[in-house]
Amino acid sequence: MSRRARLLLLGPYVALLAVFFVVPLLLMFAISVSRQSYGQMEWTFTLTHYIHFFTDAYYLGVLADTLWLGAITTAVSLLLGYPLAYHLALTRSRFKPLLIVFILSPLLVGIVIRCYGWMILLADRGLINESLVRRGWLAKPLPLMYNKFGVTIALVHVFLPFMVLSLTGVLKRIEPQLIEASQTLGASPRRAFFEVTLPLSLPGVLAGSLLVFSLTISSFVVPILVGGFKVHVLPMVVYEQVLSVFDWPFGAANAFVLLVISVALIGVYIKVTERALRGIV
Amino acid sequence: MILRTAVGLVYAFILLPMVIVVLAAFSAGNYFTFPPQGFSLKWFANFFQRREFMRALWLSTELAAWTALVSTVIGTAAALPLVRGRFRGRDLLNAFVTSPLLLPQILTGVALLQLYTLLKMQASYAALLIGHIVVTTPYVIRTVSATLTHFDMALEEAGQSLGASPLRAFFEITLGVIKPGVVAGAIFAFAISFDNFTLSLFLTSSKLTPLPIELFAYLKYSFDPTAAAVSAFAIGVALVLVLGIARFMGLEEFTGF
Repeated sequence: MSRRARLLLLGPYVALLAVFFVVPLLLMFAISVSRQSYGQMEWTFTLTHYIHFFTDAYYLGVLADTLWLGAITTAVSLLLGYPLAYHLALTRSRFKPLLIVFILSPLLVGIVIRCYGWMILLADRGLINESLVRRGWLAKPLPLMYNKFGVTIALVHVFLPFMVLSLTGVLKRIEPQLIEASQTLGASPRRAFFEVTLPLSLPGVLAGSLLVFSLTISSFVVPILVGGFKVHVLPMVVYEQVLSVFDWPFGAANAFVLLVISVALIGVYIKVTERALRGIV
Repeated sequence: MILRTAVGLVYAFILLPMVIVVLAAFSAGNYFTFPPQGFSLKWFANFFQRREFMRALWLSTELAAWTALVSTVIGTAAALPLVRGRFRGRDLLNAFVTSPLLLPQILTGVALLQLYTLLKMQASYAALLIGHIVVTTPYVIRTVSATLTHFDMALEEAGQSLGASPLRAFFEITLGVIKPGVVAGAIFAFAISFDNFTLSLFLTSSKLTPLPIELFAYLKYSFDPTAAAVSAFAIGVALVLVLGIARFMGLEEFTGF
């Protein structure tokens, strides 16, 4: 393939990305170190907004809550996703394509719709509370929504598919002979799992966890709808600063903090997936 | 046995909210109870009669179609040198063109909004379309690359040695072989655009609202099952699109299983 052909083929998308992806991100950084007075940008270089963020107890609390929610969601997704991925990697069922559709379905159904489903289920007068109260099993509705509990459930639901996809990819590449060999040598199925399968799947565990964590900490639709603006997370602060308060420099600084965390996680993720693929294939 | 029960429960958890939404859409009550209070299509009737929902549905469909068209063309073009080319910096370029997939969309959205505002092109159709193309093209590149890696270059060379021009060899031979990946990529790009919420939220105005944004606005003030009817409709669209991907590419190939 000639140099000219390459340029012609790659040119359009690379140019589009340069202008509408790289430039905006650079601009966002420039805005985060500038000042704004009466809606006008003053292009300066100041770290005021970052200092504001890292010295204000409220924002530090929001950051801590965001990371905590990310950790819990990742742990629960791993716990639910592992058996699913294990089953999917080994199954010879003719329903396998259907199972893949089930796992992919949340990815293709809009996030607002999925949150709405959880709202119907978890609200004070929602399906679960209403059924329990009507049967007299509960005196008053349980607080299932507008708190971290409901937000975590919905977040796990939204990001579980990414965990399952990461895990299945790695589990499928483990040679079945290895497990057979360990069992021939006298290991119980349980021991074979814990000493052969589980260690070999660790790269997938790490990759899936990094992916789910980085997606969770940047999610704001779930905290808004299922959390009802009562669970404060970093992306929501970005959203409010940019679209409601119109404090662009501070919003951009918040966004950039989120960006640095995400890019660091993604960097590790790429390293892990590269090594995982090289190690097993 | 324990594994199967656990797996069954997790599948139930995955499907539960979507099943509930569909049931609520067809039930007669003003709020959803179980078992449902009778069967009714009135929420769908309300959905199809409300002008704001119809306008949003049309905008989303049109936007998704344009997005799929443009991202399929430029994505397929970009995938060719990325898979076949032998040049320095190819891995880096590969990482660069898929980076919009990895960066949280809220960041892309905020950054684009700020650029558009400074360029005075915020909340325009073109601005929204470009944003969608930026985030869907990486998916096309991935699916096309997946089919392209299996492609035997000897076929195209054979075509050329039989007198076909490189362009003709590409359109008549290569494109025929990689068609599954191209079509699956196009369908996926359509689906991603049709359901996109995060990016759209930053790039829309009250005059330019795709369906997910309209639904979000509706849910902020009312809780009645019209929202469920809108959702059930969108779930139906997603289902048709998944079946399309399965038909053209096979889901195991598509997900890499």
